[in-house]
Amino acid sequence: MLLIALPALYGCYGIRPSQGGGEAKTSERKIHPKDIALPKGYAIEAVATDLTFPTGIAFDGQGLIYVVESGYAYGETWAEPRLLKIGPSGKASIVATGAKNGPWNGITFYEGQFYVSEGGEMDGGKILRISREGEVTALIENLPSMGDHHTNGPIVTNGYVYFGQGTATNSGVVGEDNARFGWLKRHPDFHDIPCNDIVLNGKNYETDNPLTDDPDDKATTGAFVFFNTKTHEGQIIKGSLPCSGSLMRIPLDGGEPELIAWGFRNPYGMAAHDGKLFVVENGFDDRGSRPVWGTGDLLWEVKENQWYGWPDYSGHEPLDHHGYKVPGKGTVELLLKEHPAKPPSPVAVLGVHSSSNGMDFSTGDVFGYNGKAFIAQLGDMAPNVGKVRGPVGFKVVVVDVELGIVQDFAVNKGNKNGPASLLRKGGLERPVAVKFHPDGKSLYVVDFGIIDTSGKGTVSRKGTGVVWKITKQ
Amino acid sequence: MIRSKQILALLALVFLAEAFLPGCSHRSSLPLTGPQVLNETEKAGEKVFMQNCQRCHPQGEAGLGPSILWAPGFAKRFQVRHGAGAMPAFDKEHLSEKELDQLMEYLKALKKN
Repeated sequence: MLLIALPALYGCYGIRPSQGGGEAKTSERKIHPKDIALPKGYAIEAVATDLTFPTGIAFDGQGLIYVVESGYAYGETWAEPRLLKIGPSGKASIVATGAKNGPWNGITFYEGQFYVSEGGEMDGGKILRISREGEVTALIENLPSMGDHHTNGPIVTNGYVYFGQGTATNSGVVGEDNARFGWLKRHPDFHDIPCNDIVLNGKNYETDNPLTDDPDDKATTGAFVFFNTKTHEGQIIKGSLPCSGSLMRIPLDGGEPELIAWGFRNPYGMAAHDGKLFVVENGFDDRGSRPVWGTGDLLWEVKENQWYGWPDYSGHEPLDHHGYKVPGKGTVELLLKEHPAKPPSPVAVLGVHSSSNGMDFSTGDVFGYNGKAFIAQLGDMAPNVGKVRGPVGFKVVVVDVELGIVQDFAVNKGNKNGPASLLRKGGLERPVAVKFHPDGKSLYVVDFGIIDTSGKGTVSRKGTGVVWKITKQ
Repeated sequence: MIRSKQILALLALVFLAEAFLPGCSHRSSLPLTGPQVLNETEKAGEKVFMQNCQRCHPQGEAGLGPSILWAPGFAKRFQVRHGAGAMPAFDKEHLSEKELDQLMEYLKALKKN
């Protein structure tokens, strides 16, 4: 009996292949709004197509539509970052372009100016101010953004530009996965930087050394240090600004960054609502020297100066909790000897690997769902981020931030969830941002386009991005 | 007695695994199924689900873990308490009997919707 039961059980996860949504069945982008399911009384249409890696949307004082294209996508696919104005017919015209330092990850419009986060994969992150005429000014530069995760946001609130800064690594240790991402060979001296001083447990991880040609060469790497650098118990890593895994702000005219909160992994989407600041964080992956399993993406209400747990917690639970043990491997070791604080509970827990990204709140009864947060879920990058039993994300969800209840709002029709390229349909592919039009009548969804993880690497397909508009009838 | 309990437990586990294996084709997404009307117990169970289950079984569908929409109630209850395969067990300290009852009521409602 045991012989039958155990393989059957473990086989569910350990033996079965990953079944993620990135394993595209087609490279063609079809547009069929009828393939998308919405709550009764809502309709969706495509208002711009053929975009290359769109990541954010903003509306100027007249309510006209502007979109940023990232200029960089996973798989080391480079393009020119662009700010586009979308005309009534969907035709795009260029307002401004950027250097080879994407991804431009988001945009907001405030008092006649656009504010854009430049991911900085090549030369470090920036916050850019762009005039309607296309004049580009960097408000801050050299953000620690050349790794796995980038400079995100921004939003303008309380008279400041708020932005997120993702971490260099998955869980604090530079490893072979970072060479596969492409950046370790480009920036071998790059690693995570804490915002305040931390004390290490001295955990080190041995891996192959992708920086040498010798296949037998090994490297040993600790947390918050260069690749192939050991750490010891009690070692203090000095904190500094700007730092990794943080939420920071700068004055509208630029200047030195001020820390708002830290201990995030990749604080991607952010929104101010009802006097509160909310951030969506992408959770850990099952990859690299210190893989972590089973941690959802998290929606946080941000309290100033709070530490939110990275690299040792998911929500209020430490990673040595048995639930985060990687199947077939040991329990995750904690990296910090002392933790800056016990993290609070998140507002909501979202799907593991859902890549819950852009967020906006409905603020009226015209569209409905007043006071609820809409979140775009780019969808899983399995198997690169770990194995999944079914596609995760590829939709827009709505969150009751009082109760922590998450419900689908826009999903593809069919007998299983997934992106259009997997389902061979014409609906949503990878929603990355959502934004309400200033008139409150419509929710716009920025759809990044096809990211195919079916081969040995990741292939992001240019010209497959779309902007959708959802309206209450 | 102990041996028969062990055999029963293993039978339940095998049944659970079998129930989970094909369970990827059913949808419970609200835009597809229409609005869900929940009683107070089911609403409480929905909160338990969101805090503990949603991350791996979004809306009950497959995600990091398999779809849980097709598994019978007793198998789900057993799986929650004992864990099997990759899923961790949730003991009474983490999830009280009352919360587990509420969760089961919510999952029933989700399956029916």
